[in-house]
Amino acid sequence: MKGNVIKYERDNIDTDVIIPGQYLKVHDYAELATHAMEGLDPDFHSKVKEGDFILSGKNFGCGSSREHAPIALSHSGIKAVLALSFARIFYRNSVDGAFLLPIEIEEDAYNGISEGDEIDIDVSKNEIKNLTKNKTYKMKPFSEIIGKIIEAGGLFNYKP
Amino acid sequence: MGKTLFEKIWDAHVVVGKESGPSLIYIDRHLVHEVTSPQAFDGLRMNNRKVRRPDLTIATMDHNVPTTDRGLPILDQTSSIQIQTLEKNCQDFGIKLFDINSPNQGIVHVIGPQLGITLPGSTIVCGDSHTSTHGAFGALAFGIGTSEVEHVLASQTLWLEKPKPFEIRVEGKRKNPHAVTAKDIVLSIIKHIGTGGGTGTVIEYRGEGIEDLSMEQRMTICNMSIEAGARAGLIAPDEKTYDYLRGRQYTPKNYESLVEYWRENLKTDDDAKFEKQFTLHIDDIAPQVSWGTNPGMTCDVTETVPTPDEFSKGDPNQKKGAEKALDYMDLKSGTPIEEIKIDRVFIGSCTNARLEDLIEASKVIKGQKVSPDVRAMVVPGSQMVKKQAEEMGLDKIFTDANFEWREAGCSMCLGMNPDILSPGERCASTSNRNFEGRQGAGGRTHLVSPVMAAAAAINGHFVDVRKMDLS
Repeated sequence: MKGNVIKYERDNIDTDVIIPGQYLKVHDYAELATHAMEGLDPDFHSKVKEGDFILSGKNFGCGSSREHAPIALSHSGIKAVLALSFARIFYRNSVDGAFLLPIEIEEDAYNGISEGDEIDIDVSKNEIKNLTKNKTYKMKPFSEIIGKIIEAGGLFNYKP
Repeated sequence: MGKTLFEKIWDAHVVVGKESGPSLIYIDRHLVHEVTSPQAFDGLRMNNRKVRRPDLTIATMDHNVPTTDRGLPILDQTSSIQIQTLEKNCQDFGIKLFDINSPNQGIVHVIGPQLGITLPGSTIVCGDSHTSTHGAFGALAFGIGTSEVEHVLASQTLWLEKPKPFEIRVEGKRKNPHAVTAKDIVLSIIKHIGTGGGTGTVIEYRGEGIEDLSMEQRMTICNMSIEAGARAGLIAPDEKTYDYLRGRQYTPKNYESLVEYWRENLKTDDDAKFEKQFTLHIDDIAPQVSWGTNPGMTCDVTETVPTPDEFSKGDPNQKKGAEKALDYMDLKSGTPIEEIKIDRVFIGSCTNARLEDLIEASKVIKGQKVSPDVRAMVVPGSQMVKKQAEEMGLDKIFTDANFEWREAGCSMCLGMNPDILSPGERCASTSNRNFEGRQGAGGRTHLVSPVMAAAAAINGHFVDVRKMDLS
């Protein structure tokens, strides 16, 4: 899975900035996507491309249980979020609806990957290659249930 | 080895599962509201599925209902559609709904306990992160996303990984329990352990400082467990818990025999092991005020706004976060908290809009007027809270002081209905999140207790309520 990185160098990116509360009444996913990250980065919608990744710090997706958050990112084209850690509801929501991959990384990847870098994520090897800088980092492997939900394509196809 | 209360509840609800790895957990109560449920019901229809246990599923509308006169039509068309959709879904699937005109309508986490739907030892879920509130009754209660809502509707179960037990002890006695409240205790905890401090855990709050609290105060504590990143927070039930639930509308008929069972079983064994521990001593804690853009960015009312270096203690991301927060909040490091002027006051939300909260706040304002520079509102947590408060004459105290007295709902906690801040407005709020734009784009939120919010409304800036007579 190859793509370019949009980097937010901060912790605690919450679901209220990923998709502000006023849009929770919007049911059209394409329209929801136009407001993704609006609370933090009003330029996000104009700069994001299909297949991009977000890279950020600790506790990504904290706050509300709104599944609108991974939906808005996913329908903006984001295929994975790489973060030092995730808030648990966002993490589960991301895979339950097969919206995007939440990938936990270590400090080396967080510090080593810059805005705009092209990376290649190989989930089968738990590896992230930075094609721009020719470096490789480890990602934290998915737990048993998360791996299987991802493989199944969402919670409703999951079989233990 | 003994078990923690959380482990006992978990084990009692495992349908399928092993010691390590995922478990299928049975859900005793599913609370539903208008915002996170429409796609879940659509999913059921698409797959020709029914709601497995409509009798264990209870719905209300709270997130985007207007808090103005209930006799008026809802002007926001998208809100109106979402509310009508919930009505139709509940009708189609046979789910009990407390609609906008029901005397039982209110914030889902306020009405659950009030109606006796929340029970000790049970598992409770809702498509809302503040479901942790119900943990105050010794329930395992947590927020879920819409896919999981659909899964519970269809199967009354959820696939989960077992969180780790986290013990938070609250020791000591507050010198002035009217001025230093449950809100100040939980904000102090989050200030110390951080917004990710509880990630992957279920917190059990224990100790004298917790036992001393009323049920409503315990709900305030458990409510904000999610702000520390925890899956849930709970408190072992005691006689206060059993007294609170006795005789409520939906309290089970065999209640006394359940109480006997709970007394025997719902406690952490002496030799149980927690994976993580934290202790807060509360003898000398001060009223808390958040200064930043997450609940961990909080300090004493007597302090000054910290510098990014003071706050971050060497962590570069924390430092950047603090710089950005100060910029967003338009605050300068070194400014005394008591000098921060406010434009708005919101007393409401599932954290602090219960009867006791309103009683305590009313003591502060009785016979006084809201500062002419401030617009202040009270949004009771439920229509029942509103009615009880009105029977006590609290509405009159608030309106005489120029507070707006409104109908029940989530309101300005999350800015989904017309109750929002304008860009740049600064609000003393009894809610749970001070995220950027949470109460309206560009709005600035300071999290405080109800008494602190009331005192700020009167004075136009934050004041240390310990200096006031609140007995």
